[in-house]
Amino acid sequence: MPISEYVGAVARSPTTSDVFNAVAEADRREILDALIAGEKAVGAIVTDLSMSQPQVSKHLRVLSEVGLVRCRAEGRRRLYRLEPARLRPLHEWLAKYERAWNDRLDRMDDYLAGLQRGERQ
Amino acid sequence: MTPDRHGSAVIELPNDLDVVVTREFDAPIELVFDVLTKPEHVSKWFAPRGCEMKECSIDLRVGGNYHQVFVTDGGTECSFRGTYLEVEPPTRTVETWVFGGRPHLDAVETVELHEAHGVTTMTTTLTFRDKASRDEDIQGGFDGVQTSFDQVEDLLSSLLDPRGTVSG
Repeated sequence: MPISEYVGAVARSPTTSDVFNAVAEADRREILDALIAGEKAVGAIVTDLSMSQPQVSKHLRVLSEVGLVRCRAEGRRRLYRLEPARLRPLHEWLAKYERAWNDRLDRMDDYLAGLQRGERQ
Repeated sequence: MTPDRHGSAVIELPNDLDVVVTREFDAPIELVFDVLTKPEHVSKWFAPRGCEMKECSIDLRVGGNYHQVFVTDGGTECSFRGTYLEVEPPTRTVETWVFGGRPHLDAVETVELHEAHGVTTMTTTLTFRDKASRDEDIQGGFDGVQTSFDQVEDLLSSLLDPRGTVSG
């Protein structure tokens, strides 16, 4: 029951949906997790996650398009690193979600307090 | 005078499928349970400000259904329904949860109450459906805009995993 209103309250703005969609895929989240420790070459990600190179490259392309990872060349190697600031829309979404929950529970709290004041009178 | 607890809910995403919300109330456990499960109470606090409660039915027994509908000031109806799976007053209920506008976002909700020193702690756990059925859904008719709520939960829990150091 208490999940109710926030589904509406946390509707996401279209400008952020790309980042949401990019990280809605489990493999891509694993790639992001793998990059938390620091910059990595495609080959290292392939080894770490036991995904195929084409898979990893495809996911990295999607993540690059929404700015969640950035690529630089070092000789022949291409190194990818996380751009944590681009995760801000997700944090903002969570903050809205928290607000919606708090609003609901605060209303319940006020109602409970009123009931108890009424009972004491 | 008890301290104001407004804004004190703690929301955690412990794994890919669960959302856990914890909140304390300065009230006895029986009263908190009633306020959560009796239509005459729920109808007083359930709808957000500016919204009007249109329906509030609760058949509080195993297999019984509940249905809540409120209307926003813009005229949009929000409907929530489900079926009780467990009912153990005043400590616990487990129920299915379906939001009318997005039937794919079904979840199982567990509400647990615990009282100590006059303070009742409510722990609500929402468990979204398993990944297999979710993925099946996504393949069936995936629409980018409607990227399901449970997916977003999923990704948030991954990104906010305490072992990670990702921050905005």
